[in-house]
Amino acid sequence: MELAAGIFINVLILSAMYILVALGFALLFSIAGILHVSHGAIYTVSGYICWQLSQAAGINQWLALVLTVLIVGSFGLFLERFCFRPFTGDFDRSLVVGIGIILILQTTIVVTVGQESRSMSPFVAGILNAGPVSVSLERLVTFAIGAALLGVLVWFINNTKPGLQMRAMSQDLQGAIMQGININRVSAIAVVIACASAAVAGCLMGAYINLNPFMGDVVLGKALILVILGGMGSMTGIFYAGLLLGALDATLPVFFSGSVAEVIAMGAIIVVLLFRPTGFLGRAIA
Amino acid sequence: MAKPGFWAGLLIILLVLPLFIKSPYLIHIINMTFIYIILTVSFRTIMTSGQLPLAHAGFMGIGAYVSAIAAKWFGLTPWLSIPLGALVAMGVGILIGYPFARLRAVYYAMISLFFGMLILSAVKAFAKWTGGAAGLTAIPPLLGFSKVPYYYFFLGLTAVSLLVLYRLEISRPGVTWKAIAQSHLVAASVGINEARYRIIASAIGCLFAGIAGATYAHYNTVVGTTSFSFMATIMLLIYVVVGGVGSFIGPIVGVFLLMTVPELLRELREYVPYISAAIVLIVVFLMPKGVTGLVKSFLSWLAELWKSRRTSDAP
Repeated sequence: MELAAGIFINVLILSAMYILVALGFALLFSIAGILHVSHGAIYTVSGYICWQLSQAAGINQWLALVLTVLIVGSFGLFLERFCFRPFTGDFDRSLVVGIGIILILQTTIVVTVGQESRSMSPFVAGILNAGPVSVSLERLVTFAIGAALLGVLVWFINNTKPGLQMRAMSQDLQGAIMQGININRVSAIAVVIACASAAVAGCLMGAYINLNPFMGDVVLGKALILVILGGMGSMTGIFYAGLLLGALDATLPVFFSGSVAEVIAMGAIIVVLLFRPTGFLGRAIA
Repeated sequence: MAKPGFWAGLLIILLVLPLFIKSPYLIHIINMTFIYIILTVSFRTIMTSGQLPLAHAGFMGIGAYVSAIAAKWFGLTPWLSIPLGALVAMGVGILIGYPFARLRAVYYAMISLFFGMLILSAVKAFAKWTGGAAGLTAIPPLLGFSKVPYYYFFLGLTAVSLLVLYRLEISRPGVTWKAIAQSHLVAASVGINEARYRIIASAIGCLFAGIAGATYAHYNTVVGTTSFSFMATIMLLIYVVVGGVGSFIGPIVGVFLLMTVPELLRELREYVPYISAAIVLIVVFLMPKGVTGLVKSFLSWLAELWKSRRTSDAP
């Protein structure tokens, strides 16, 4: 019973972390059709900026988080204007630009801070004891913020005017232009939101696990799995995909050793995609 | 590609090159360049059939690990284990080719990406045989420990591989692949068996990836998982795009610019990725068709200029 409760809580928290990390990536992929490979690098850089602001400059850590979100969000504006807009609809070249950004960001971290991993103090310390299970407050906060961000984003896309415009763009770009939607403005909003959410994820996860210049590569892999499994073009899909991936990653290691569990999880994902290539809730594209 | 004299000259220069290069490190860089040329050109061969094989570095890994394990744990001579590794890579390529042929474009790219990740986690899962994340060491070398014999081996191997892949591209299968890539519906309507030709393309690509991986294992004598990861495959795609997707020599130019040049500038240490980033960004912003695309349009511009000069001088 205790094992089951422990597993259940782990499933929820892992899922929330995956969703938090993949949110911005999913938004750009579904709405603007951008395969944002530099998402992982932006996540990493945000962690480092927050660490620098709080540890070196001595700013309150929560304030540092807000500042990081602002800085990285405005970096998103720059990215959209100079790196994504010139290559709209050109898959290969936008991918190459993304790799260029990754190289620059990672190298900058290595040159300025160094390759060793750094630890950031947790946002909230302490452990919550609830009956048979105990959870660290930090994981609970991560879970709450991940869930809240997903909720806000889904609400934003379904209920606001820019959200409506994004959905129009993802369905029919030409049609959206003819309705007078300023597609450059809308994709700028999408990129800024994506970068800001990557920043939140980077700060929280950077405090939870240690900072390291290449931690974004793993995140990129997880985000890709979530988005493909959930279905391109569907934001609620990544919620289910996050739950599934969290469940696989939390339960399989109980029964198998780490890498065998990984093989089984990847095999399961490949089989699902063979029979449902558009993911759980996706629609066919191109 | 039509000038035999040029290629014969290039071959002679490459044959005598080791007589003038005394640094073993430089020879090592050239050998690695040869391996990656085979890998990247075979990557592009699969791309011409309209498939984006994001598991390609993983197939290199299959070749490398199968060959290394056969030679190290079962005492097979590398001369037999290398073909074995390459054939296993091709076999796996054919086996997954059948189910994966159901999917096209982005969906194919994504499922092959996940297959590449599956290969890597399988390597980590069988750590007893593969050495896991720490890597497999003390693999029997193919030609001893001096670099120069390998130079001639890789030169020959690369020349033969390029010849085979180029002949394929300009012959019937190559044309068929391009037809499928442009429109699978039109290709099917003129009687092309789309799935069959796509499987043939990935079988050939995986065969050469396996060859590159197996020879790499017995040349380097140490293999680790990072060379076969998702990012490694993405780098192959970058080589192809920077060199120019539309041209057979594009990937070769890309490997040279992005692998060999940064290696030569090794003194800059941790600043080296800036050089790669600069090359990547310059090419992607200023040369929409890659380096070879730019050279081609420059040459045709020169030819135009020459022609107009001649006609205006004529009367």
